[in-house]
Amino acid sequence: MSAHASTMTLNSRYPVPWQRRILPYVLLAPAILVVLVVVFVPMVEAVITSLYDLILWKPNASRFVGFGNYIKLFADPVFWVALGNTALWIGLTVPLQMGLGLLTALLLNREFPWRGLARALVIIPWALSSVVIALMWRWIYDPNTGVLNDILLNLSIIQSGIPWLADPKTALYAVIATLVWQGFPFFAVMILAGLQGIPRSQYEAASIDGASAWRQFRHITLPGIGPVLATAGLLRVIWVANSMDVIFVMTGGGPGYATYTLPLYAFIRARQNLDFGYGTAIAVTFTVLLGSIVAIYILRTMREVER
Amino acid sequence: MNKPSVLRRILTTDLPVLLIVLLALGPFAWLVLTSLTPSAQIAQSGVSVSPSGWGVDNYVRLLRQTSFVANMGHSLIVALGTVVLGLTVSVTAAYAFSRFRFAGRRLIMLQFLLVNMFPVVLLILPLFILMRRLGLLDTHLSLILANATVAIPFAVWMLTSYVGAIPKSLDEAAMIDGCSRLMALRRVVLPLAMPGIISTGIYIFITAWNEYLYALTLGGRTVRTVTVAIQTLIGEYQIEWGLLAAGGVVGALPATLLFLIVQRRLIGGLTQGAVKG
Amino acid sequence: MKRLMKTIGATCALLAGLAIGTASAETVRFWYHFDNPENPMSDLVKKFEAANPGITIKAENVPWNSYYDNLYTSIVGGDAPDAAMVKLFAQPRLIEMGALEPIGQRIDAWAGKADLLDHLIDLNKGSDGKQYYLPIQYVVLYLYYRDDLLKTAGLTPPKTCEDFRTVAKALTKAPETYGFGLRGGKGGWDQWGAFVLSQGAKLETGGLTTPQAVAANQWVIDLFQKDKVIPPSAPNDGFQEIIAAFKAGKTAMTIHHIGSSNDLVKALGDKVSAVPVPACNGKSWTSYGDESLAVFSSSKAKDAAWKWIAFLAEGENNVAFNKATGQMTVTKSGSKDWKLHERRFVDATVNSLPFAAVLPQSTATAEFVNTAWQTAMQQALTGQITSEQMMKQLEALFKQ
Repeated sequence: MSAHASTMTLNSRYPVPWQRRILPYVLLAPAILVVLVVVFVPMVEAVITSLYDLILWKPNASRFVGFGNYIKLFADPVFWVALGNTALWIGLTVPLQMGLGLLTALLLNREFPWRGLARALVIIPWALSSVVIALMWRWIYDPNTGVLNDILLNLSIIQSGIPWLADPKTALYAVIATLVWQGFPFFAVMILAGLQGIPRSQYEAASIDGASAWRQFRHITLPGIGPVLATAGLLRVIWVANSMDVIFVMTGGGPGYATYTLPLYAFIRARQNLDFGYGTAIAVTFTVLLGSIVAIYILRTMREVER
Repeated sequence: MNKPSVLRRILTTDLPVLLIVLLALGPFAWLVLTSLTPSAQIAQSGVSVSPSGWGVDNYVRLLRQTSFVANMGHSLIVALGTVVLGLTVSVTAAYAFSRFRFAGRRLIMLQFLLVNMFPVVLLILPLFILMRRLGLLDTHLSLILANATVAIPFAVWMLTSYVGAIPKSLDEAAMIDGCSRLMALRRVVLPLAMPGIISTGIYIFITAWNEYLYALTLGGRTVRTVTVAIQTLIGEYQIEWGLLAAGGVVGALPATLLFLIVQRRLIGGLTQGAVKG
Repeated sequence: MKRLMKTIGATCALLAGLAIGTASAETVRFWYHFDNPENPMSDLVKKFEAANPGITIKAENVPWNSYYDNLYTSIVGGDAPDAAMVKLFAQPRLIEMGALEPIGQRIDAWAGKADLLDHLIDLNKGSDGKQYYLPIQYVVLYLYYRDDLLKTAGLTPPKTCEDFRTVAKALTKAPETYGFGLRGGKGGWDQWGAFVLSQGAKLETGGLTTPQAVAANQWVIDLFQKDKVIPPSAPNDGFQEIIAAFKAGKTAMTIHHIGSSNDLVKALGDKVSAVPVPACNGKSWTSYGDESLAVFSSSKAKDAAWKWIAFLAEGENNVAFNKATGQMTVTKSGSKDWKLHERRFVDATVNSLPFAAVLPQSTATAEFVNTAWQTAMQQALTGQITSEQMMKQLEALFKQ
């Protein structure tokens, strides 16, 4: 049943000719080539940039500073604030998106007359462009003219309007809520596709055995979509960590540094203040941190994905 | 399975689905309302909730006075191009990852993830210079290539897990029956992985459709996508709410319609008998 | 078959002709940003091309919120436009990058120079004394107020900062109405300047941390924290929010320029009026909002590019340009009979001109305008740092 076992039997049964041995590389070559040329080369260039004191509007004053940018970075209080925010940002957004997406996928996998329509409607938040979403939610949160406070006031949940995005205590959570709304359809669609791989016969057998709905979910559904869930979660962590357009339009990182995440900080330093050396140092540090977390995650879950 | 009564179905399925659909559409409804309210009225009294104040004025202006249709065309070329390129190279890569064990496999898989962890903003400048040297600035190809690099790693990983879920006994059986590896991929794996391929395709389409930063820097003039066009409606001192909302609604249509069409393919269970056998 | 050959031959001849045609013609790539989506630029382009056969204008509307990022990227990447709309705060950086083409001599030789409003050329001069910018439009920040609310309360528009505070307090009936709509988000430094830069604070070393400057800044913070005459949303409010709140009657006063006047009149009619910003301790400061045109040094069509930007700054064309942008013309002939805005707003603008100023031309100014001010102000408003800490933080920018 396991991947290793079956491949090994295949490989050991026949002597492997060289054509077959290079086949995986041939299959991989196009993907690697595109990625290598378009991302990898610029990325290496960027890593080199981070060792320079390079401010774009001072092209002649550029000089090599070694790890100077990194030393400056670790002494920078904004870096630590942004790091904390990034952790909170990923730690809340991804599980919430996944939970809501899983629920949606399970419901949309049932049979009901308007299923096709419901499936299409649910992906709308994901299909909207980020800038439209950000502006829309900015308006919803607006304490003066927005609709969220109106609703809460009418329901007497709050007594006076809350400045959601202007208060450093609520701003990050408000932006996270927006991103959860935007991103849950992604999980719904991915999980929905994963659910198709579970043989219906397994549920039938379980029902005959009298297993409860929860037990069926726990012992058939979850293991069935496990690999998809693990991969989609992993990819989403990376995507969410890097997505800053919604934050940028909604708060620009403010109030103060309350909604700064590391990619946003890198963006502001590099693209707005044109401090490319420092900006790339932030980006590289972020990539290394995220990379190590992802590596740990993969080591722990890869075995399940591979199974 | 015993047939659940209609009432029970409504309570356990239709109603919760309706709630989720409302959650998804609630904020979108405001966007639709804004797009239906004439611009002059938005400035004066805000969004109109009653149908009496509605009109298609904004849509007419959007189509007539801005080059939105042309922008949609460019976006469509870029998004579909990215889907074709992305899926073609990802499917074969995913097949290699899930069916072969070879030297450097893990390293290559990790490399795919790593390139996506680096904040895109810092790749823009080197990429801009690269595209200028290749003479690709302001072409569809440059945007397709740039978007593909974002899409391919994700697509490869997603597809690897979908293909990995297909029992290997099936392609082995096909190969024993005389199929070559590639034939087994085409005849057995592709049809079975179709739900996964489609959802990954949707993913690539939406990501490419909504991409802004590359579209602005690498394209922007003759090749101007919807996202860039929408951004020009956000001015220094003014936001054209009416046009922006209309643009947002129209801009979300292609992906939604596409999904409405292909979602039928997301129904599994057709081939399960074969798996059991 | 013969016919086909003929057609092909004809097509080839045609193509060759086209190729020669384009080779002799010059193309000017021009970047601009407009708040008006209906692309009014095309009429001006047509007019110019008709008058200057052989020059083609490729006008590109670049989204405002990425305008400068994109401009810098294209300059560094070696694909800069020939000419573009630019603001003063970017000039020091562009000069430092060597990206600008001096146009002083061209301006001197240009017939339209005499028609430009006085002092505008001087105001736009580069920090190295050369002239790179040609003014194209301007605005000045002034105080919008709700005439009806002030009259009902028996108040007159504030002339001094103390007046301002009294009026703001009197008009605040939280949470329905607030006295003043402060822009605490991006771009709000120009409102802040009216209260702080007027009192002697300067964007230079030792210029922001004087006791007067810190006290003036504290005064603004107190309006928010103690007097509560500013809506609680202020720290994240940008221009849309302050204008929307003012239109909705949520705020009774705000500071902005003539660009929003037509929109406000549409919503409020005669109920909205304007005066210059109040004077603090006898001195006034308000922000001169500039927009100029420049030719880039990398351009291969500098003469054509100059012709085009000069064309846009000439009387009639400049009026047409400003009709589209909703700002003020830079020409004397155009301002004589200005009908695009209601008189009271034009008066408030003109009366503000004597004390309207631009920020110092230093490379740190761009960072102050783009990110630093808003971050520091938001922290101070929400009580994370004190007024003095905020001013120290800002002053640090100008030390380099």
